[in-house]
Amino acid sequence: MAERILKRPLYIIVGLLSAAVIVLLLFWKPTVVVYGVQRAGLYAGIALPMALILGIVHIVNLAHGEFMITAAYITYFLCNSFGMSPFAALVPVVIVMFLLGMLIFKFTIKHTLKAPELNQLILTFGLAMVLTQGLNLIATSQPRKISLDFVTSSATVGETTFGTYGFIYDLAAVLILAGLLFFLRKTKFGKAAVAVGQNPRGARIIGIDVNKIYILVFSLAIALTGIMGVLFLTSQSIFPLAGGSYTMKSFCLVAMAGMGSLPGIVFASIGLGIAESFIMSFQGYGGWSNIVFFALIIIVILIKSFKGKR
Amino acid sequence: MSKLVVKSLTRRFGGLVAVDNLDFELGNGEIVGIIGPNGAGKTTLINLISGICMPTSGSILFDDKDITLTPAHIRSRMGIGRTFQLIHPLENLSLIENIMTGFLFSQGENKKKARLRAEDLCALMNLTDTGREISQLNILEMKKMEIAHALATGPSILFLDEVMAGLNSDETKEIIKIAKKIASSHNMAIGVVEHVMGVIKELTERVIVLDSGKLIAKGVYEEVSKDPKVITAYLGGAA
Amino acid sequence: MIKYWKYILIAIILLLGVLFPFYAGAYQQSIARTVLIYLVLAISWDMLLRSGQLSFGMAGLFGIGSYASVLLLLRLGASPMLSILGAGLVAFVVAALLGILVLRLRAMYFAITTLAIGEIFRIIIRNWSSFTGGPEGAILPNIIFDGDPVLSYWLVLGLALLAIVLSVIFQKTRIYFALTAIRNNEVVAKSSGINIFKYLVIVFAITSALQGMAGGVFAQTYGFVTPESSFSADYILLPIAMALLGGIYGTLGPIIGTVLLGVLAEYLKLYIPYGHLIVYGIIIICIIMFMPQGIVGVVRSKIIRREVG
Repeated sequence: MAERILKRPLYIIVGLLSAAVIVLLLFWKPTVVVYGVQRAGLYAGIALPMALILGIVHIVNLAHGEFMITAAYITYFLCNSFGMSPFAALVPVVIVMFLLGMLIFKFTIKHTLKAPELNQLILTFGLAMVLTQGLNLIATSQPRKISLDFVTSSATVGETTFGTYGFIYDLAAVLILAGLLFFLRKTKFGKAAVAVGQNPRGARIIGIDVNKIYILVFSLAIALTGIMGVLFLTSQSIFPLAGGSYTMKSFCLVAMAGMGSLPGIVFASIGLGIAESFIMSFQGYGGWSNIVFFALIIIVILIKSFKGKR
Repeated sequence: MSKLVVKSLTRRFGGLVAVDNLDFELGNGEIVGIIGPNGAGKTTLINLISGICMPTSGSILFDDKDITLTPAHIRSRMGIGRTFQLIHPLENLSLIENIMTGFLFSQGENKKKARLRAEDLCALMNLTDTGREISQLNILEMKKMEIAHALATGPSILFLDEVMAGLNSDETKEIIKIAKKIASSHNMAIGVVEHVMGVIKELTERVIVLDSGKLIAKGVYEEVSKDPKVITAYLGGAA
Repeated sequence: MIKYWKYILIAIILLLGVLFPFYAGAYQQSIARTVLIYLVLAISWDMLLRSGQLSFGMAGLFGIGSYASVLLLLRLGASPMLSILGAGLVAFVVAALLGILVLRLRAMYFAITTLAIGEIFRIIIRNWSSFTGGPEGAILPNIIFDGDPVLSYWLVLGLALLAIVLSVIFQKTRIYFALTAIRNNEVVAKSSGINIFKYLVIVFAITSALQGMAGGVFAQTYGFVTPESSFSADYILLPIAMALLGGIYGTLGPIIGTVLLGVLAEYLKLYIPYGHLIVYGIIIICIIMFMPQGIVGVVRSKIIRREVG
C-alpha cells in the first residue's frame, strides 16, 4: 500500500510540503509537534479499526467512538470497584469488547448487511445513541477521571519541556497498525478477510465462510477500540458524549487516507494531530481546534468529487 | 451530415483500457449495429456517449456541438436516449410513472401532459394496465418499458443495449417490429448492441465491430462477418 | 366517496388542532408545542430522505436557527416574527453552501458531514462569546407574544402546517418523480434528464430552512439558547425514530410516528430522567431490523394483500 502511495506525484508533493512544515514547526514551536504526534497516535489507534470494518465488512460504523468510550467506562468501573490498575484491566476489557462486538454484530448489523447503505447508517447511528444513552443512564453525564501519577511525567530536550505519557498512544497505534498488517498479509485468516473485503461473492465461491469473517473482523475491530478506550481513560476525563467526535474524526481520517489504506491513516492522523495542536498552542483559541477535521473532510470530499468527474 | 461523431475516444479503468482510441460516426436516421465479444467495450461506449461516464481522452460531437464534458442529464435533454443492459427500473414508481419521468424532465412536459403522452407511448408499445407496480411486470414488459422510457426522453439518437437478451423468438420479433416502427416514424438514428446476430442482420444497415475497446471492422454485416479479424475476435472470445 | 370522507376527516383534525388551546390545559399545550416542533423536524428529515440522502443535520440546523433568531433580535433588533424567518433563511444558506460543497459525493459522506454540522456550529458559538454569548448562551428580554400560550401554540402549529403542505407538494408534483428516481437509481435518473445535483441541493436547503425555522420558533417561545440545549442530540434522534416508526417516504408516516412517540416521550421523561433517549435508539434499531417500512407501510401492504387476495 505504501508503494502505491509513493507512485502518485501529488502525494509526494503533499508529503514533502508537510515534512517541511513539520521541520519548521520543530524550530518554531517544538511542543506543537510533540503533542500533535501524541494526538495523532490516539486518532490513528481509533481510526484504524474503523478502516478495518469499512474495508472488509463494508459498514460505516457510526458508533465507533462510542464503542471506545464504552470501553473507557468499563475500565473505569473495573478500576473503581476492584482497585485494578487500568493496565491490568486491559485484558478483561478487550475480551468484553470483543464479545460485545460479536453480540452486536450478530443481533443487529448482520441483519442489515444486504439492506441499502442507508439502513446500515441509520442502524449504526441508533447503536451509537443506545451506547451513549446507556452510559448516561448508568453513569450519568458527570465527567469521570482516574488519577495516575505517572501520567504527568515529562522530559526536557534542550530548552523544551513536554509531557511524555502521550507517546503511549503512538506506541499503541504503531502496534495496532503492525499487528493488522501482519494479520492481513501473513495469516491465513487475514488473507481470507482481505479476499472477502475485495469480493465477497468471489470469496464465498472459493469456499470462504464470509459470515464468520465478518463477525470476527468486526469483533476484532471493536476489541481494538477497547484498547484505545483503556488508554483514553488513563489520561483524559470521560463523559458519555465524548465518543461522538472520535467517530467523526475517525471517518475523516479514513476518508483522507483513501478508503482502505491503513498506513495512510497514520499519515493523515499526524496531519490532523499537528494541525489541531498548532491551533491549540495559541492562548485562548484552543477551542477552535476541533473544527480542523471538518475543514479537512470538506477538502477531501471536494478533491474526490473533482477527481470523480474525469 | 453526421448526427454523432466520436473522435479518438479513450476510457481507462485503472490498468484496463475499456475503449481505446475509437472513431465512430452515426448519421441521421441510420441504424447501426455495435457488436463484439463480451468485454469489448460496447456498453462503455454507450456510457461515454450518454454521459454516464466521462472519457479519459478524445471527444464527442452531437449535432456539431462538443458534448464531451456535458453532464448526462443535459445530453438526455439534447436528444441522446439509451436503454440499459441490466434493467434497473425505478421500483418505487409504477409502470406509467417510470415512463413519465422522461417526458417530465427531458422534455419538460407538465405532469398531465406527461401522463397523456406516456399512455400514448404505452399503447404504441402494446403495454396494457399501465398503473401496475414494477414487481408485477414480466420480462417482455420490462424490456418494453425500458425502450419506452428511453423514447420518452425524446431522443434523436437512441442506443439499445441488448434489449433482446432473455427474450424468446416471438418476443424478439415483436421488439424488432417496434424498433423498426420508431426508426421510420421519427427519423431516429439507432445504435443497436446485440449478441443475437439474426437481429443485427435484420435490423441494421451497417455494423461496427469492437474488440478490447478497439474498432476492428466496419461495414455491411455480411462482409464484416467474413472478416478474419472479426472471426478471430469471436473465436478468441469464445475459447 | 372515499376521497370525500378523507377531506372531511382532514378538516375535522385541522379544526381540532386549531381549537386545541380552548379545550386543553396548559400542560397539554406545552406538550403539543413540543410535539409539533418534532413534527417539523421529522417531516423535513423524511422529505430529504425521499431522495435517498440521509441527513443527521437536524440538530445542527435547529441550533443554527435558534441562534440566528435570537441573535437577529438581540444584535440587529429584528422583530420576533422576522427573526424566525431570518432563522429559516440562515439555515437555508448554510445548507445550500454545504450542499454545493458535498452533495456531489453522497451517501456516507453526506451523512457524516451533516452529523458534523451541529458539532461545528456548537464550537463556533462557544468560542465566539462576544457575539453569541458563549457557553452560557443568550437570553431574550421578552418571549414572543409576551408569553401568550395560545398565540405561541398557533405559531408552532402554523409552522407544522407549512411543513405538511410542503411535504404534500413534494409528493404531488414532479418533485416526487425526481426524488423517487434519484433514490431508486441515480444513473437511470440522469438518463431521464433529471439534474440530480440541483434537486438535492434545493431539497436539502428547503428542508434545512424548515429545521432552522423550527429552531427559531423554539427559541422565541422559550426565550433562551445555549450551545448544549439548542444543538441537543434529541433533535436528531427523536425525529428519526418518529419518522421510521410511522413510515418513511411519505407525509402521513412521520405525522403518525410523531404523535405516538411525542406523547410517549413525555412519560419517558418523567420516569427516566437520565438517558430516556436510549428508548429511541432501541426503537430505531428495532424498526430498521424488523419493520423498515414503518406503520404506514405495514398497513398499506396489508390492504394491498387484501385487495389482491
